[in-house]
Amino acid sequence: MSISNDLDGRLAMQYEPVTYRRKIAGHDVIIHCHHYNARLQRTIEGARGIDGKGLIAGAAEVVFAGQVAQALRPEDDDAARLAVVERLYAHLGFGRIDLGQLAEGLVTASSSHFVEGWLAGLGQCEHNVCTFTEGFLVGAVYAATGRVVVVRETECMARGAARCSFTVTASERESVPGNIKGESVPVPGAGGGPYLRPAQVDEQAIIDAVVGMPMVGDEAGLIPAFSVYLANMPADFYNRICIGFVEAMRGLGREKAALRLLVSDAEHCGMNTFRGIMHSPEWDGLIAPMVHDRADALHAIIAISNALGWGDWHVTAHTPTTLALESRHGYEAVGFREYRGRADAPQCAMLTGVAAGVMELVYGEGTVEDRYGTFASREDQCVACGEPSCNFAVERVE
Amino acid sequence: MRRERVPACVHPETYKYFLERDEVVAVWQRLVARYGELRKDLAFRAMEVVAPRFRVRATLLGNPVTVLRRRDCTADDIAELHALLGYEP
Repeated sequence: MSISNDLDGRLAMQYEPVTYRRKIAGHDVIIHCHHYNARLQRTIEGARGIDGKGLIAGAAEVVFAGQVAQALRPEDDDAARLAVVERLYAHLGFGRIDLGQLAEGLVTASSSHFVEGWLAGLGQCEHNVCTFTEGFLVGAVYAATGRVVVVRETECMARGAARCSFTVTASERESVPGNIKGESVPVPGAGGGPYLRPAQVDEQAIIDAVVGMPMVGDEAGLIPAFSVYLANMPADFYNRICIGFVEAMRGLGREKAALRLLVSDAEHCGMNTFRGIMHSPEWDGLIAPMVHDRADALHAIIAISNALGWGDWHVTAHTPTTLALESRHGYEAVGFREYRGRADAPQCAMLTGVAAGVMELVYGEGTVEDRYGTFASREDQCVACGEPSCNFAVERVE
Repeated sequence: MRRERVPACVHPETYKYFLERDEVVAVWQRLVARYGELRKDLAFRAMEVVAPRFRVRATLLGNPVTVLRRRDCTADDIAELHALLGYEP
């Protein structure tokens, strides 16, 4: 497909150092790895009594209708618009899709972040796993062509197919809903802290190096970095599926269970993601020479997570058995405020779980399962509740 | 030469291979000759060679090397790589 020469510029990442946010095509993107994305999908789709697949596909169609629209230009012809869709999908790290047979109602994928994530992180599965791609295609086709379609995956590489195949048919719906949000949460000004800054760990050098990495899909549309598969996921997607999941579970009287599940996924993510990172050549090359003890490793991990866009969070207190962190612009809290207004209770399940997970990784012993649950984390105050920052406290479980 | 399994990676069969010190330069020369250019990431002081179904990565010192397999990596691919590294399972 022909494609205009300025496409790389349209999809270039803009980094905002004040908030540690990364923006692509007008959308804040958060870099998570295959461990987190696969687990989150399994949790939401596996919950009984709710339409988890609908939550994931619905969020993807709404968010990517907006992001694709922002990547398009009025002068793009039909072929160029579809080329933008293919390129954006690969650029963000989701894999390779081929829209060449879209008019015949067929889309294929030769590689997939979610397939790789599920097989590498969770093992063999008996069902199709590309719910996210179904939703992405609905939103992207709507943005690129104005057609509202239904997309169903009929073959999946996760079940042994040579490629993933999707049927595309006309929908009775007239439009894809807009990504409606309320008043934006202002970026925090000076202040916060005081934060612990270990002398040996050059946090800014770590952040600069990670931000300088070309975190874009390779020839397969995947991002194998730090020994894991990364992807640039819009923060709005994570917020929509997590808020939607908790609300759906609340309807069944299981809100607390939903929050525990989201925290648990993040706790595993904190251990698995950073365990992979700590064994990577990138860690060995830049970061390991700065790390003289376990506390240094913890600070380096937090620096990396900031560069990935997780939360503008920093250590305020730390011992081998305790950790306190402050986040002033985490995507979960900000997203909740924008989608739902002021909350009654803290909302940052991902940061809560990761805070425990990284302590289990740095100070624990044994396998991931041996370490799981050995630290407990809670969010004491949250931007979503109107507080100036989100504060997390982690303690070893005795 | 020995190897250690690396946890939580893109493929469950991910290993670090610890090369003999006097073999490091020659091994990387063989990797480049067989699989193509050496790509360097100076910010992270790391480098890699990208083969069709796996990547070989290391710090700029070249040792140990981490082999990141793609899902379609075959036993023949790994046997050829092992011969090139001088690793005997």
